[in-house]
Amino acid sequence: MTSLLSLRGIGMSYGAVTALRDVNLDIAAGEVVALCGDNGAGKSSLVKILAGAQAPTAGTIMLDDTNERFRDPQDALRKGIATIYQDLAVAPRLSIWQNVFLGSELTRPPFGLLDKRRMAEMSRGFLARLAVDIADMETPVERLSGGQRQAVAICRALRWDARIIIMDEPTAALGVKETAQVLDLIRRLHAEKHTVILVSHAMQDVVAVADRVVILRGGRKVEDRPVAGLTAGDLAAMIMQRAA
Amino acid sequence: MIRRTLARYGTALAGVALFAFFALGSPVFLTPDNIALILKETAFLGILAIGFTLALVTAEIDLSIAEVASLAAVVTGALVHGGTNPWIAVGAGLVVGTLCGAANGVAVTVLNVPSLIATLGVAAIAKGFSFMLTQGVAFVGRWPASFTNLARGTLLGVPNLIWWLAGVGFAAWLLVKWTRLGAHLVATGEADEAARLAGIRTRSMKRLALTLAGACAGLTAVLLASSLSSAAPAMANDHFLYAIAAVLLGMSMFEPGRPNIPGTLFAAFTLKVLGNGLVLLGAEYYWQDIVLGTIILVSVALSATGTGKAPFVKKLNFRR
Repeated sequence: MTSLLSLRGIGMSYGAVTALRDVNLDIAAGEVVALCGDNGAGKSSLVKILAGAQAPTAGTIMLDDTNERFRDPQDALRKGIATIYQDLAVAPRLSIWQNVFLGSELTRPPFGLLDKRRMAEMSRGFLARLAVDIADMETPVERLSGGQRQAVAICRALRWDARIIIMDEPTAALGVKETAQVLDLIRRLHAEKHTVILVSHAMQDVVAVADRVVILRGGRKVEDRPVAGLTAGDLAAMIMQRAA
Repeated sequence: MIRRTLARYGTALAGVALFAFFALGSPVFLTPDNIALILKETAFLGILAIGFTLALVTAEIDLSIAEVASLAAVVTGALVHGGTNPWIAVGAGLVVGTLCGAANGVAVTVLNVPSLIATLGVAAIAKGFSFMLTQGVAFVGRWPASFTNLARGTLLGVPNLIWWLAGVGFAAWLLVKWTRLGAHLVATGEADEAARLAGIRTRSMKRLALTLAGACAGLTAVLLASSLSSAAPAMANDHFLYAIAAVLLGMSMFEPGRPNIPGTLFAAFTLKVLGNGLVLLGAEYYWQDIVLGTIILVSVALSATGTGKAPFVKKLNFRR
């Protein structure tokens, strides 16, 4: 299988502190890859590099066999990598369509004014693709459930037609029902052949939706294998075992 | 439904009730001359408050607007008084206001000084320059009609000041509600980090908003000088608390909890109705200040109640 995204020798240092060392990773189109590890394992640093929030101090990123270097998150987004952060994904008091088109609003001629109707219609369409039914696109996101908010954040990635969607702890702080909704969203993204990188501490979520799990420890990749046949307990043990 | 309608329009309805109260209480209140007077006075306050609103849209506060307006008026007045072409004087007043606003923006976004402190600093500097230019004595004189007509003239039978207010109000509303730039200003104020991660240049947005606030102060200054044929240090200071009150009261209507242009304009008008009505009913001058302070407190409480959230001050960036 050819890789959509390839990382070679990725390293990240903050002064004397090394967060990532020589990380190699290949992710194929349409895969759901879980990125796991204990606190301080290097997950956040790797996500920031992929999101364009920071540049690696070593190594190369290949996207579709092309060497890439992301200037900023917007650059990564333009190149097809969207990142949905745990707490910072949405502007709570803004409406659904305002959040979906945050930073990339549509305008209409001749005066270049906002095309609110079209953005609302498109937002409804994106939500429909995720099987999320919300009647009013003017609803402020703060009135939505946690699962619906994640859906809105995913819609922003769909609006950019992102090929790779990075979800940073999407089920953290969510209840059982809302977690199930979010996992269902990931399955739908998978069904649409989107590539998902799921950063999670919830091993049961990883087992439920991921094709493959990558475990980081001390800034190094220590495990990279299919999830099939593993239980949440197995994954937790793998992280703990390596940590011991 | 009723609760939401009341939250959005309750304060505005109270303003209408106040208008009706004064109309019933004074035979002079509803005369065309008096209504025109209220609207003209609303122009100074409204334009100044629109600038404050724009800064607040990006979750920054501009406490320098009154002193900046006074300095811009002094610069304009000094030039007109000295015989300079009035249009150059007008341009100079606008530039002074805009530059002071830009200085606020740089202090906040480049030097990382919280806007509460940065704008106080710029206010003090502006005040110092005002006194330096005037030596404490106002510029007063018989100024050219081409200059005084800016505020005192009429167009199609409507006082120019009302046109100015309508024009600036419409432009600001259009900017905030219907343009991409405005959407980015709003997003910056609503969720700075989410906006930045979405590619919005949030620092530029804050700089722009504070610069526009300065430009509005500059325009207010030019119109004040034009209207009064005079320019003096601290001449816009009386409008300062009223401008803040207009923005806060405006946040309790139309879009509760958010700074919004229609709310600011309606609130500015209501405040002027209140001042005018109290005078017509023979109330002592100090009642205006007492009522004003009460309005500031009540409007912040209302905007908190309307949204179920802490008021805007919680969103202001006190830390950098």
